[in-house]
Amino acid sequence: MIGYRKYIIASVLVFVGALFLMPLVITFCNSLMSEVEIAQNYTVKPDIFDLTDGINERFKVFKLIPERVTFRQYYEVLLKQPSFMLLMVNSLKIAVPVTLGSLITAMLTAYGFTIWQWKYKEMLFQIYVIVMLMPLQAVLVPNYIIADLLHIKNSYLAIILPGIFSPFSVFLMYQGMKAVPSAYFEAARMDGAENLSMLFHVMLPQLKSSAAALCMLVFIEYWNLVEQAVVFINDYAKEPLSVYLSRIAGGNTGLVFAASSVYMFLPLWLLVSGQKNLEKGIELSGVKG
Amino acid sequence: MNRLKHSAVLFLLPGLLGFMIFYIWPFFISLGYAFTDKAVHGTFQGFKNFMELFSNKAYLMGLSNTIKFIAVSVPLNMGAALGISLLTKKIKRHRDLFILVFLVPLVIPSGSMDYFWSSLFAYNGVLNGWLRILGIGKIAWLDSGIAFWVMVLIFTWKNLGYIIVLYLDGLNRVAPEYYEAARMDGASPVLTFWHITLPLLHPTSILVLMMSLINSFKVFKEIYMITGSYPHDSIYTLQHFMNNMFASLNYPKLTTATAVLVSFMVLLSQVLLGMERRASS
Repeated sequence: MIGYRKYIIASVLVFVGALFLMPLVITFCNSLMSEVEIAQNYTVKPDIFDLTDGINERFKVFKLIPERVTFRQYYEVLLKQPSFMLLMVNSLKIAVPVTLGSLITAMLTAYGFTIWQWKYKEMLFQIYVIVMLMPLQAVLVPNYIIADLLHIKNSYLAIILPGIFSPFSVFLMYQGMKAVPSAYFEAARMDGAENLSMLFHVMLPQLKSSAAALCMLVFIEYWNLVEQAVVFINDYAKEPLSVYLSRIAGGNTGLVFAASSVYMFLPLWLLVSGQKNLEKGIELSGVKG
Repeated sequence: MNRLKHSAVLFLLPGLLGFMIFYIWPFFISLGYAFTDKAVHGTFQGFKNFMELFSNKAYLMGLSNTIKFIAVSVPLNMGAALGISLLTKKIKRHRDLFILVFLVPLVIPSGSMDYFWSSLFAYNGVLNGWLRILGIGKIAWLDSGIAFWVMVLIFTWKNLGYIIVLYLDGLNRVAPEYYEAARMDGASPVLTFWHITLPLLHPTSILVLMMSLINSFKVFKEIYMITGSYPHDSIYTLQHFMNNMFASLNYPKLTTATAVLVSFMVLLSQVLLGMERRASS
């Protein structure tokens, strides 16, 4: 009885897991096909041969196994089209500063929130939570206004600066710090530790996972930037990858799978190498000390 | 001690200042638009924008779709994630691998999946091709009421991993003594779940609720990429309305909508944080 149940559970999980991975697997498998094969699978207009065969309606098909494995798409995307690499660098120019910046600000701000005692502290924190809950579209006008005032409207700074101070990072770090037992810093305080050494020697070693999770989540968020790029970047050469991909999906179908695969490689690699930290960091965001 | 606690404010200040400059201050500047007729050289007109907003068909449609979407998808996600977490907890081997699989959609950029979703749900797309084989007619996945469920599906795909991690942790925190005691009393698994697991998961569920809400707004990215600015009525969300108002430079309408949303979020954050405080004490 028990043995059967184990297999049923395992097969349910394998089935659901396979469904979850399907989009990714299909994208990757299709990236190894030739442009001709892609065209065959994704053209819905019946051609002359279909019509003579009496087929007057075609559907797109997902195929897993390429007729012949080729790296042609990758070659085109990575080597022949310099614009792709350029746009990837653009994406990095936005995502990396936001990640590092928000890590530093979130660490300092969350530490302040944890140690500082003030009657209205929780109210102040509530403002962070309110902004955190708002959809991105609601902060576009404020972002635009401040970018206009600071004359950074057409630069990445218009995206980077608000990103650095985004409330989500502070929330994640603050929740993580609240989970550090107060005995740790009471002891350090007895030893006469100052705030700076308290933060770096007492708090941070406990918060490695939260910090890693923060970096991953923020990086992924800005690597996947869409709306702000549409609003703030008018120059094609300055666009991040995300916007470019949705544009080529319409025209250059033969390359879209390789381009998509390259685009998702970095976040996937981060996830695989940092899975434990990401999980721990997400967990800590919910724990109360 | 006090000196330490007071000087900690210095750590808070830079971040707080940035937050004020980039979010709070421009929000209050923009709030002015909500009370004027146009963005440039507008004249004050009281609450007229608010009155108009609540008779604006596009706004009402977006608002009701967003509410409906959250009301349907968030409980669905919570239930599914809890179910998968309970199953995952049962298996011993390869547990990390399963969690990894569920976390994958969270990190995949929307742009990478754009073409996949479009091909799957297109009128002459993959799904309808399968239906044809089964002898069933074509379904307008993205151009009928069904689009709403497509949106729910894509959101679930992306959001589930995050809350599975939260629920697994919550489940691990339930002390085994509780289950032991329940078994001694001869409680059935269902009874144990309702009277022990669920109540003890309450603090986790509040955070899950909060995160799902935040993530539910982000599904706009996928939907926007697949269907553009004016999708079928059933998936025209509040974010579409706001995005389109922004694109057409109609700041007064957009800011009015934001102001309404902010007042709602003030209430909601009050409730959520209150629940969280009660659950943790």
